[in-house]
Amino acid sequence: MFLAVFGSLLPFEHWTFVYEDALGVTPFSPGHILGTDNNGYDLLTSVIAGTRMSIFIAITAVGLGGLLGSALGITAAFIRGKVDLVLSTAFNVGLAIPNLVLALALVSVLATNVDMTEVVPIWRRVTVLVISLTIVLIPILGRIARGATLTWSGREFVTAARSMGMRDMQIIRKHIVPNVLPALIAVAFLAVGVVIIAEASLSLLGVGIPDGGSWGGMIARGRNDLEYSPHVLYIPVIFLAITVISTNQIGEVLRGRLDGRESKV
Amino acid sequence: MFKFGFWLQRVAQLFVVLLLVTFGVSLLIRIIPVDLATIVMPVADETQRAAFRASIGLDKGPIGYYLQWLGNFVQGDLGKIYYSGGTETVSGHLIKAMPRSLLLMAYTQIFALGVAIPLGVLSAYRAGRRADRVISNTLFIFSSIPGFAIGLILIIIVGTKFAWLPTLGYATFSEGIWEHFKHMIMPVLSLSFGLIAQYTRLLRADMIASLREDYVTMAMSKGLSDRRILWQHVFRPSSVTLFTSAALSMGGLIGGAIVIESIFATYGVGFEIFAAIGGRQYIMLQSCVAVIALFYVFFNLVVDIGSGFVDPRTRDRRSNV
Repeated sequence: MFLAVFGSLLPFEHWTFVYEDALGVTPFSPGHILGTDNNGYDLLTSVIAGTRMSIFIAITAVGLGGLLGSALGITAAFIRGKVDLVLSTAFNVGLAIPNLVLALALVSVLATNVDMTEVVPIWRRVTVLVISLTIVLIPILGRIARGATLTWSGREFVTAARSMGMRDMQIIRKHIVPNVLPALIAVAFLAVGVVIIAEASLSLLGVGIPDGGSWGGMIARGRNDLEYSPHVLYIPVIFLAITVISTNQIGEVLRGRLDGRESKV
Repeated sequence: MFKFGFWLQRVAQLFVVLLLVTFGVSLLIRIIPVDLATIVMPVADETQRAAFRASIGLDKGPIGYYLQWLGNFVQGDLGKIYYSGGTETVSGHLIKAMPRSLLLMAYTQIFALGVAIPLGVLSAYRAGRRADRVISNTLFIFSSIPGFAIGLILIIIVGTKFAWLPTLGYATFSEGIWEHFKHMIMPVLSLSFGLIAQYTRLLRADMIASLREDYVTMAMSKGLSDRRILWQHVFRPSSVTLFTSAALSMGGLIGGAIVIESIFATYGVGFEIFAAIGGRQYIMLQSCVAVIALFYVFFNLVVDIGSGFVDPRTRDRRSNV
């Protein structure tokens, strides 16, 4: 209990700290506070740019995935019948391939260039990453939304609302979404952490953001000269870990509160 | 038995899912905006390229291509890897790579469970006390550091600073058992940290719940030793949850193994996928992803059936869903 409260306070500091940096506000005086790497890049500015990129990708992908996934999941569970069968099968198909394998396959296929020597522009890589990670997330979040909707739509108040002549869309908006949403938000925070790591893994494998554009890219670059300047590697890892710890903690706390509410019901 | 029909239905469902998955992957290969024949034969003329397309069914449209690929796949022909000098079969590569990945995952699971079980039992026994807090907090931090980061840090410290362990490659059993394990220690360590955290937390929560049960009070009042109660009365029922979760974490482990294998150059299935993408071997990519999906789906089925046998309660619960 003490840890839950204390832990939720701590990472909040990290979050805002990271966020301010991402906006480009550097409260320190000029110089290389975090040092430079062997190419002479300042690590502080790199890590700031990397933070912006990684967090942007993670939040966009989770946002899109959550939106589409929950819409599909709620629809499936609410309409049932054939629609549910089709959507559930689609979710299962998506889940049959381990997440990272699916993301890897999608990214590598979508980012293929006609001419191998031509450099893929960065915006296209970002778009491809976001799309791929979104596709990976849809079945995961969709299934959770479907499960949650199924339990809620069986409750008495939904039957009551229907007998009162409420239309389906109204029931979904008024009764289902408010109940399903908290669970999804908690999961979404956990998903942000997962996506950040996934993006870093993809960049490390050379199909994500190249040349230190994101945390994963920085780690990939730091890998090349880890014997002589290991700090190039440590710094993005530390930033990444702190962010993931924060999102996980927030997700856990939210989930914990939710469970508390559920058990009282 | 009436359960038999239920399982038959599940297996049929899985086959449909598998067919759709492999079809989806083959569609993915088809939407590559690049002509595969041009990638494979950059200097060939148009007739040679057309012959190549016909040979792997690229001229047939998505469904025809898929059926040809599926026919070959079922017969064990997973396509070829194309080099400028000639070709190699994908199946040959996978036969070499598969045991390495499986061993890596098996070691990881064994190690993770081996560490997590005592830690989980200890922190459940001392719940809320200092030992529990130290374990829980340390593990929470570790669970947020991705495996590849741990792997790279291990390379820096153990591999280059002290040079205790080789940082790259793989050794077979015939090259010496010690040599084999030396190459495996770091990959296994980097994969297992996250799992250890996950398992310990799960076991702790589950055991704390079990400790509140009446039969534990009963056992205590009988004067049984703490050790006996913990292991026999509390750990045993919780272990089912633990092993199911271990099985379910396999998907994440497969994904993590790709990164770890490419960092440590273990030449497992993950490394082959990495190589397939780097070398633009899309047919190989398709077959590798299909193999992984096949393995993963069947593994989950086995786990489902297994946990149904071990704990009849899950059997009823699952059939209701």
